[in-house]
Formats: sequence, structure tokens, C-alpha cells
Amino acid sequence: MMKIVVTFFIFITFVHGYTYNEVLLKAQASIFPKILLLDKKLKNKLVDGKVVYTIVYEKTDYLTAKEVAKYINTEFANSLEGFTYKINLVEFSELSAHIKTSAFYVLNSEEHISNVAKIAKQMGVISFAYDVSNLKNGLLLSLMLEKSTVLYLNKNNLYTHNIDFVNVFLQMVRFIDES
Amino acid sequence: MNTSLVTAFLLLGFSTNIYAEKNEVINIISDDMKHYNKVATITKQNEHYQPYIISVFYGKELEKLGISNLKQALELVPGVDMATDNTNIQTPIFRGSNPLAYGQSKLFIDDVLVNNIFFDAYPEYLSFPIEMIKRIEIVRGPGSKTDGVNAYAGSINVITYAEDFKGFDTKDKLIFKYGSYDYKMGGFFKTIKTEELKVFIDFFYQQDNKKLSSGPDGLSQGAFSNSTLGIDNSAFSRSGDAPLWLKEYSLGVNLEYKNFFAKMRLLNHTQGSAYGINLALPQDDDRVKLPNNYLELGYKKTTASYSLEIKGGIKEDAFDSKSKLLPDGVEFIDMLTFDTNGTVIPVTFSDGIYGEHYAKQRMLYQSSYLKYKAIQGHTFTLGYRYTKENTIEMRSKLSNWANGDAALVDYTDTYPFFDKNAKRDTIVYSLQDEFNYSPALSFVFGFNYEQTTYKDAGFEPRVSMVYQYDYNNIFKVMYSKSHRNPSWQEMFTKNNHSRIGSTDLNPERVEAYEFAYIRNFSADTYIQSNIFYLANKDQIYNSVTDANYRNVLDTNIYGLELEYKGHITSVDQVYVNYSYVTGRAHIKDEDRTESLANIAHHMAKAYYIYNLNSALSLSSLLKYIGSKDRVSTDTREKVDAYTTLDLSATYKNIQDDYKITLSLKNLFDENVKYPSPPNTYVEDYTQEGRNFLVTFVKEF
Repeated sequence: MMKIVVTFFIFITFVHGYTYNEVLLKAQASIFPKILLLDKKLKNKLVDGKVVYTIVYEKTDYLTAKEVAKYINTEFANSLEGFTYKINLVEFSELSAHIKTSAFYVLNSEEHISNVAKIAKQMGVISFAYDVSNLKNGLLLSLMLEKSTVLYLNKNNLYTHNIDFVNVFLQMVRFIDES
Repeated sequence: MNTSLVTAFLLLGFSTNIYAEKNEVINIISDDMKHYNKVATITKQNEHYQPYIISVFYGKELEKLGISNLKQALELVPGVDMATDNTNIQTPIFRGSNPLAYGQSKLFIDDVLVNNIFFDAYPEYLSFPIEMIKRIEIVRGPGSKTDGVNAYAGSINVITYAEDFKGFDTKDKLIFKYGSYDYKMGGFFKTIKTEELKVFIDFFYQQDNKKLSSGPDGLSQGAFSNSTLGIDNSAFSRSGDAPLWLKEYSLGVNLEYKNFFAKMRLLNHTQGSAYGINLALPQDDDRVKLPNNYLELGYKKTTASYSLEIKGGIKEDAFDSKSKLLPDGVEFIDMLTFDTNGTVIPVTFSDGIYGEHYAKQRMLYQSSYLKYKAIQGHTFTLGYRYTKENTIEMRSKLSNWANGDAALVDYTDTYPFFDKNAKRDTIVYSLQDEFNYSPALSFVFGFNYEQTTYKDAGFEPRVSMVYQYDYNNIFKVMYSKSHRNPSWQEMFTKNNHSRIGSTDLNPERVEAYEFAYIRNFSADTYIQSNIFYLANKDQIYNSVTDANYRNVLDTNIYGLELEYKGHITSVDQVYVNYSYVTGRAHIKDEDRTESLANIAHHMAKAYYIYNLNSALSLSSLLKYIGSKDRVSTDTREKVDAYTTLDLSATYKNIQDDYKITLSLKNLFDENVKYPSPPNTYVEDYTQEGRNFLVTFVKEF
């Protein structure tokens, strides 16, 4: 019996997907939009004078994407430190390089993360990841609830973007390498 | 020149302004990070980084699995099995630690310790409905508490929806449940908030008429017989339905006003007399009441560098039994006369023996703890907890020993079942230093020093280290020493054939060595593994052949626990755990060493939730509990292993905010049995077979 249980256990560790943690979603909804303000080049990325925050999701995560938008609206009440903002919800399958956005917030996907990272890189906008493990697929920033709250920044992408964070912010983050 | 100067000044002014704005945003982000750090720490979102072995289960997830109450939730925990006794005082067994004793683990409801004083157990809270529980945090091993409460084998913190954080409002809830054994439950909770005052109220009522086939009862094994005196009551042994019914209500109120708080709960729990105090099957309506009520008042203040919490409370609980103890026609001797002067007078109880046993206990406590964030990564916690426990009321009534008349006689003063003057004072001093050497490496050094009215536990240190190699890999090493003080039952029971207490008992002691490795695959997918070694000394033990409680059991236990949580697809959740435990027990006064008895060496538990869409989910819950050895003097076969499967379906109506869950439990009607001690119920204690549960929850 023990062998069966252990074998099953070992097998199961090689297959994994995702769900969403409410506290982590709320923390990210509260903190990520503020990080946009630390980009000295934010004004170049406004769309019709607005900060456009695009949440990218799988069809099955539509309710989660809506919840995140609700958290952001509750937190900022239509004004992001003086900037008017707009939230777009876009499915991974509908995302194209022609999208007009100031930043991406990327929920989980097994197939599409690299594509979003590529588009964000081409556009020179910040891409936030729900899951820190997606920084390895090219997204720029994430946040984890560890012993303390930690911001992770993908250093491989930092200088390839049209992004210029204030130095103090770079002292707050923990750098990780795509490799 | 002037123009350039003006321009330079303007630019400087502009950039200074921008700089100030950016700094302000940085400060806001820092404050946000601190806030979510606090929320994550309190709600155990960052459990993997804490200096102990912890598993956290969320009420809403457990509801989807058809789990109905706290007991069923605890059965899901790695390394935890359930045990019971003849009065159906059920208790979780952590890592095989002394399955015949209670008090091995501590239960907290919203941080209030609720173990009753009589048994040092919490069977009255095991039926607490899961819909009232936001989260259950289970720490395995002794290394969990710093605030003056010793967790020996584990601690369980049940967090209700009274918990409140900025940005995390709780919806009010209305619950109805119906299930097998005519189980009915209704309850609600509600939060009322103003700017400075928060009031949270929860209430539930539940009952069932559960009876389970049992027997032959303990009379068949010689209970209430005495070969020396030539008394044999084995012919009166019966088989039949053991009354395991439940009738219970609870009212909880949590208040917060500025820095002050109050927590109150009235829990009135009544259950059937199960397998009988004297191991003879009781009557259907015979009952045991286990009320457990508390009120705690406190003050807390937090600044950037320190936090202070001062609290005090009162808790009252009772053991209140009223039942027919032995059947019509049993013969014995006048025990009162025999214990007074040794004279043997045979008595026939033609209408049986009835009894009323009542012992009410009160605990008063006060504690103060100061946490101070010092320089260079040190956070010191210093404080004390003072506890005063005593029995405030005791009654002892039995059928007439002298003439065998069934009518109750008050033996409270002449032949009590319990010491009515039972009392104990305890003070625990605690000091802890949490040292963050670097963002990746932290240490905890601490100790408790305890003194009691009886045998002192003294100095008990705890040391741990958490090393985060990167965000994927975390290592923990822990050493801790703890103890369990004898329960009231073990110290103060008297004039009883199966339990004889002693105030000379030493505390049970444990030294624990634990190592854990956690691998995070993603934000919500992980594997947690740990190995442990527990050296237990002076564990308290008694048996039918020697009813005296005594410190005669030393056990060395070691094992491992594995836990995986993750997914197979994007719309499902998988949870699997496996635990292995083994070791040796040495019974000192019998000079006998044997393998651990009454514990399952292998346990595996798993659940799978598949979300068909946002409204409908299906789940399955599988539990395997391995076979259990008997003590070497017990000639019965091992307790059989069993595997149970539960299936559930949940429909959630998002528009009207309600959900319905239908669960089929123990689908294959597996024969689940908890072990009985030798010479009691020879066929062990049978548990529920196939059963169902329907739950309706409406949120507002």
C-alpha cells in the first residue's frame, strides 16, 4: 500500500496548474497600479490621456479578472494619483500586438504568457504577473506574500523596455533571473 | 544668463516636485506592503515561511468537499487520526502520540483556548459546523505557541468569520443542513460595523439521532466482574445500538471597539451516553452534557516598533452525565462499605444501577505580551500567562450501594466520583527573539518557564531556523521541548473502577526534532515535506487491569509527512498528503517494550475538486487509514485498515448568492472502526457507514 501511495504522490507532483489566492489578488490590485506611477516614462504610455490597465485572462478566469477590476476600482475610485484610468479585460486568445494599453496584468495561462511578455516588450509597457513563476516566461514584475511582502523584478527585461523606474523603487525589489 | 538661471530653478523645482511625488508613492506602496504582510501573516497565507510545520485549510474549500464539521476537517490533516473512548470523547491523535490520552493537542477558537478542564480535550467543539469556520490552522509538533499555552503534539486554531481586515469584508451568512441520522442544522452569522465599533454574532443549532450498532459491551470482557469475589456479570452483556446522538447550540459574539476587544461564546453540547461510563450499553436517552462557555476581554495596541496585548478571561466547562450505568440484575458488593472498612457485602441491583455525575470547572486567566522590534532584525516577545483552575461544583449520585435500590442516593460527600476541591494555579513566562539575519535566513530562539501547584514543567526551550534559498525552495529546522500537564480526570477521579487519578503525576514531556523542505512550483502549487523525531517521556497511562493513572509510558516516534497542493488543469484543484509514523513504546512498570499500538503507520488523504463552470463543481475526498497494532497483551487481531470515499456536488448561484451542496459520504459503506482498549468493547467502536448531507448556504 505504501508503495502505491508514494508512487501516486510522486506522480501527482509532476502535474500542476493554478487557482487564485484572494489576499494575493487584492495585494496586487492595490500595489501594481501604483508602481506604474514610478515609471518616469508613464506619460508616453497614456492612451487618450488615460492610464489603461489591461487584465489578460483565460476564458475560465473571467470572474477572477472581474474581481480584480472590482478591487482596483474600490481601491482607487477612478483616479490613480491624479491620472484617470481605465481597466480593460482581454482574453488571451483575443490579445494582439495592436492593443492600446499602458500596462498588462497577467493572470495564469499554460500557453499564452510568453506571447503577452513579447507584446509588452515590443510596446515598452510594464507587465505584471499574478504568479511569480511567470517572470521566467518574460513578464516583468510580480509580488509574493512570503515571510514579508516581496516584489520580484525580472532583471533580464528591465533594460530592454522603454521603462525607467525611479532608483528608490529598484532598491525595494528582489531581482530574479529568467534562467 | 538670468533666463538660464530661472529655467534651472524651475527645472530644479519641477524635478524636486516630481521626486517628492514619487517618494510619496513609494511610501504608500511601502505601507501597502506592510498591511498585506500583516494580513498574510495573520491569515497564514505565508505559512511556508513560518518557523513550524503548519497546514491551513479554508472553510469555503472544505464546504465544497461536503465536510460538515471541525472533526471531519481535522481528519484531512497529514498525520492526524481520530480516536474515541467509551463515553465517545473523541480526540484527534497527532503523529501517533499517546492515543489513549487527551490534551495532546490544544484547540483555539479565534485565539481563545477552549480545551475543557475535565478531560483537557475538546469533543464538544468537534461538531462545530464548517460553514462557521473561515480557516483552520493546524500546527503539528510542539513548536507553535509563544503566548503561554503548551501545545504538546499539535495545536489547532479555528478562525471564524469574526476576523476582519481593511479591504476584506465578510458577507453575512444563513445556513441550513440536513442529513443522515435525521441530522438538522440551522445557523447564521452577521457583522455590524460602525466607524469605531465592530460586532460579530454567530449562532447555530444542530441535532441528530445517531445510533450505531455496537457490542458486545464491556461486561462480556469482565467489566464489573471480580473473580476474587466470585462475581461474574458477563451474562448481562448486551449488544445493540449505542446512543451517539447530538443536541447542540452555540452563540458567539466578538466585539471590537478602538483598541479593546471582547470574545464570548456559549456552547451547550449534549450527546448520548455512547458505550456507557461503566462499559455497559446505556439507554437511548441517557446523556452527557459538555457545556463550554468563555468570555475574554482584552486590549491591544500596535505601533511601528512594538505591539502590546493584555487580556484576561473566564471559561467554564462541565462534565454532566446522567445515565443507567449497569443493567437490571447485576450483582456486586457494597463498595462504600468495602472502601470504608474492607467488609464484603454482596448486593443485587435488580433494577440496574443509575448514576448522575456532575463536575463543573472554572478557569480564570490573564496574560500580557509585549512584542518589540529592536534594531538589526531582532523582534523580542516577552510576557506571561497566569491561569487559575478549580472545580466549583460537584455532585455524585448513584443507586443505593447498601441495598441495591435503583433510586439515586446522594454520595457527593460520602463516596464522590471526583475531588470537589480540585484546583491548580499555573504561571508561564515566555521570552522569544525572532532574528532576521537576512531576507533569506531567520532564526527563532525562545523558551517558556512554567510553574504549577503540582509538578512543574520548568524551562522549555525552542529554536528554529528558516532558510529561503529562493522563492521556490524553503528549508526549516526546528528543535522544541514541551509538556502536557495531567488533565483533571487523570488527577482527581476517585472511587471509580476504570479511572483512578493522582496528583503526584508528572507532566508528560516531549522533545521534538523536525526538518522541513518546501518546494513552491508556483504561487499556489507546492509540495511540503518533513521528517520528525519525537522523544516522549512519562506519558500517562492506565488500563482496565490497572485503573491508576501513572507516568509509565516512554515512546520514541519518528516519521515523515508529505503534502501536495496544486492542479491538473486550470479548472481543478488537487490536494494529497501521506504520512508515515513508527516507533517504540516502553511501559516502565511492566518492563515491556513494543511497537506503537493503536496508531495507523500509514495514512493518505486526498481530494479533487473539478469546477465544471463558475456555478457547478464536483469533488471527491479519499481517505486511507492503515491498520493498527494492538498492545502486546491484547490477543485481538489488528484493527483493520479502511478507505473511504466521499463525493459531493456544489451548485452556486452567483446572481442570488446562494449555494447548495449534496454529499454522499463513505460511498462504499466501509467498515470504519476506532480501536477500543483491551477488555472493553471487544469489537471496537464502529463509526458511520454510508450517509448523506445536503447543505444550503445563502450569503448577504
